[in-house]
This record gives sequence, C-alpha cells and structure tokens, in this order.
Amino acid sequence: MLRSDARWVRWATYALSALGGAVLWELGGRGASPAIFSPFSASMERLVEMLRTGELGAGLAGSLALFFAGLGLALVTALPFGLLLARAPLVRAAVSDAILLLYAMPMVALIPFILSLMGVDFGAKVIVVFLFCFFPILYNTVEGARSIKPELIEVARAFRSSEWAIWRDIMVPGAFPYAMTGVRQAIGRGLVGMVAAEFFLSASGIGQLIMTSARNFDTAGLFATVLIIALLGSALMALGRALEDRFTLWRGGGR
Amino acid sequence: MSPARAVLVKIAGGLSILALWEMVARGFAAAYVARPSGILRVLPQTLGSEAVLRGTAITLWGVTQGLIIAVILGTAVGLLMGSLKLVERLLGLYVNGLYAMPMIAILPLLTIWFGYTSKTRLATVVFASFFPIAMNVADGARSVPAEYLEVARSCRARPHHLWFGVTLPSSLPYLLAGVRLAVGRALVGAVVAEFFVSVDGLGFYVLFQSRTFHHNQAFVAVLLLGAFALAIDALIAWLTGRYLRWHRPGEDRR
Repeated sequence: MLRSDARWVRWATYALSALGGAVLWELGGRGASPAIFSPFSASMERLVEMLRTGELGAGLAGSLALFFAGLGLALVTALPFGLLLARAPLVRAAVSDAILLLYAMPMVALIPFILSLMGVDFGAKVIVVFLFCFFPILYNTVEGARSIKPELIEVARAFRSSEWAIWRDIMVPGAFPYAMTGVRQAIGRGLVGMVAAEFFLSASGIGQLIMTSARNFDTAGLFATVLIIALLGSALMALGRALEDRFTLWRGGGR
Repeated sequence: MSPARAVLVKIAGGLSILALWEMVARGFAAAYVARPSGILRVLPQTLGSEAVLRGTAITLWGVTQGLIIAVILGTAVGLLMGSLKLVERLLGLYVNGLYAMPMIAILPLLTIWFGYTSKTRLATVVFASFFPIAMNVADGARSVPAEYLEVARSCRARPHHLWFGVTLPSSLPYLLAGVRLAVGRALVGAVVAEFFVSVDGLGFYVLFQSRTFHHNQAFVAVLLLGAFALAIDALIAWLTGRYLRWHRPGEDRR
C-alpha cells in the first residue's frame, strides 16, 4: 500500500511526515534544557506571539525589501551585460575566465571589505545581496548565449535581418532559459547574502530576530524564526524552480 | 580563433580588468583599499606568512572533515530516499526545506549548541554540504535503470548486492555532482562560521586584516579561497570525465 502512488496515500504520508517531525521536535524539546532546545508547542506559541506583536511581519518585510532590491539590481545589470557579451565574442573570450572565477568565489569573504568601504546602511546591504546574485545570472546568461547556434545568426544575416531582429528573435529567446537557471541559483545565494548582510553589516529584518533571540537564549523564538526562514527559502526556491521549468520547456528537450 | 590567439585575448582581458581596478582604486578610493599593485607587492610575503599558512591549513582541514561526514551521511540518506518511496516521502519535506533554507540562519543556534569553538564551524560545514549531497544521491538512486535492478533480482541478488553493486555505482556521478555543489557551500559555511564565532582560519584572517586596514593582505586570502573553489571544481569535473563516462551532463542540480 505504501508503494502506491494514489493521491491520498501520498498526502497521508506527507501528513504523517509533518506530524512525526512535530512529535520528535516536541519530545526532543521536552527532554532538553530550554536554554538549548525548545519544544514544538512552545515554539509555536512564540511564533503566534511574534506574529501578533508585528515583530515577525516587520522583520520579514525588511528582509524581503533587501532581498528583492539586491536581486532586482542584479537582474537589470547581469541580463543585459550577459547578452551584450554574447554578441561580442572577442570580449566574451577575454572576460569569461574572470567571470568563472568570480562565479566560483565564496562571496561572503568580500563582506568585510564592503563593511569598511560602504558602511552598514541599507545601500551597503543591497550591494552584498547584489554581489551574491550577480555572477550566477551573468555566468548562466553567457553560457546560454554561447549555446546559440552560430548558423541561426548566419541564416538571419543572409536574409538581411536587422540587428534588432537578431536580438529579438534569436539572442533573447536563446539565452533566456539559461538565464532562468541563473536566476534560480541567484535566489538561493541571494538568501544567504541577505542573512549575511543582516548579521554582519547592521542587524535588521529576520537576521536581527535570529540574533536577538539567540542572544537572549529565547530558543522558542529562535526556532520559530528559523522555521519561518526555512519556509521563506522553500517558497522562493519553488518560485525559482517554477521559472526555470517554465522556460526549460521552451528551450526544448535535453540541455 | 586559434588557440594561441585565444590565450592572448584572455591575457589581454585579464590585464585590462586589473588595470581598470587599479585606476578606480587610485582615483577614487582611500590608500588602504586593495588594488592589484598592492596585492602583488604583499603577495609573496603574505603567502609565506605563518598566519596565512596556518589559517589555510585549519580552514581546509575543517572543510575536509565536514565534507567527509556529509558524504557518508548524505550518501546513506540519499540512497534510502531514492530506493524506498516511504523514506522519500517521510524525509523529503525536511531535506527539501532545509536545503532551501540559507544555512547561515542556523549559525546562532549552532553557537548555542557548540559554543564559540571550531566545532561550530564543523557543524556549519556538515549542515551546508549534507543536503545537496543527499538530494543528488537520491536523484541518482531514483534514476537507476529499472532493467539493471530486474536483472540483478532475477539472478537472486540480495538487497545489499542491489545497493552496493547496482544502485550506489550507478548513483556515483550524481554523488560527485552533489559534492561539487557541496564544496562551494561548505567553503561559504566555513568562512561565515569563522566570521561569526571568531575562530582561527582563512575567513577570520580576512576579517582581521580588513578590520586593521590591511586590505591587500586580506584580498590575498580571498583569492586563495577562490582558487580552492576552482581547483576542487576542476578536480571533480576531471574525475567525472575520467572515471564516470556514463554521466550525462546537465542532470546535476546546480
């Protein structure tokens, strides 16, 4: 029966899984000292309380504003830049290694520099999120543009297609699905950047909620906030996957 | 483009990026801000300094330990999830949710559990790298061709033969793809943990040097971190190409 794919069996096992997790969490919390672990019931109580006082709502709003400002800035810069590189093969060949290096580099290591150059205000934090998001989008857009068959452009040229038409009909549709893979990666990395900026530049948003509850040994609040971050991460990742899948269909089978 | 010309273009590109950086730093930034000429000047001395050598050894050792633990646990959990539907459904919720969570969010919790010690770094690295490995191995175990399992079963293979003889080898490319993802996350985790709990290591070196306005020295350490990330990436790509030729690229979840 458990191997069945019927819808109710699937949902029943998911429900069982959620319930089992909550029970384990509750038992673990009851067994341990409240200074290091908080049972499910206490965490939920604290969660409701944080929702009611508006702490959580304000924290989430602040964090999301930071996240989307950084991601948006990365989108409007990395996408056009990547496409431009696609039409300039010489420049692309010249900078592609640098892009790969920056794509692979752990960006958190740059946070101390940003801290001492730009301070701790909202703008500096946006730059942190931007740095985490920029290179995945750029790298994947360039990869996508490189995957466009040169014959397509040659044929378009042979039919006296204008530069604008080449962009509209070949470059953008060809590179877009790959760029969406970059956007999905950028969402994941940007979330890390968001929390890192809130931890290390100046405390704000969700990061501040985590820090203060940890400092006050308010483990119930800490678990509640971490749960919210996990949910937020899952929702944003699902958004990224949906975007990617939507355009991978367009890209056609295989890679 | 001929290979020689391609190399020339790359060198020219690299040099012009460095020149641009140098000009911007000279024109607009304070004297302590990192710039190519400054980095080059301090490079030999910094790379040879005891602090960098020790920091590198400590951070890399921490990352390696964490990765070994994560590979063992992640492979076990991934194989279970990929071959038993019940396990997949019971654990999938948690593995997916924790994978999507920015791992540094649990750092304060880890400091409560493990204190301001290097154990926190180890825990962060394990936490950061476990989930991509488990998810990729589960993908791999799920995509074992059913015929392989049928043939093995009809030859009366025992469950452990199926696991270690069929499923695990067939999932190896996915495992490597997972490790590749995990290495990047592990390095980030190690650096963030060092920032947060101030334990010795390459990340702490960056923090300390940049706070004392030695940005050039700090940047050398950043470059080292980038070089490790690239080197491990290249090593895994080479291993995959050399020993796991049946791997179909593009199926890894990057």
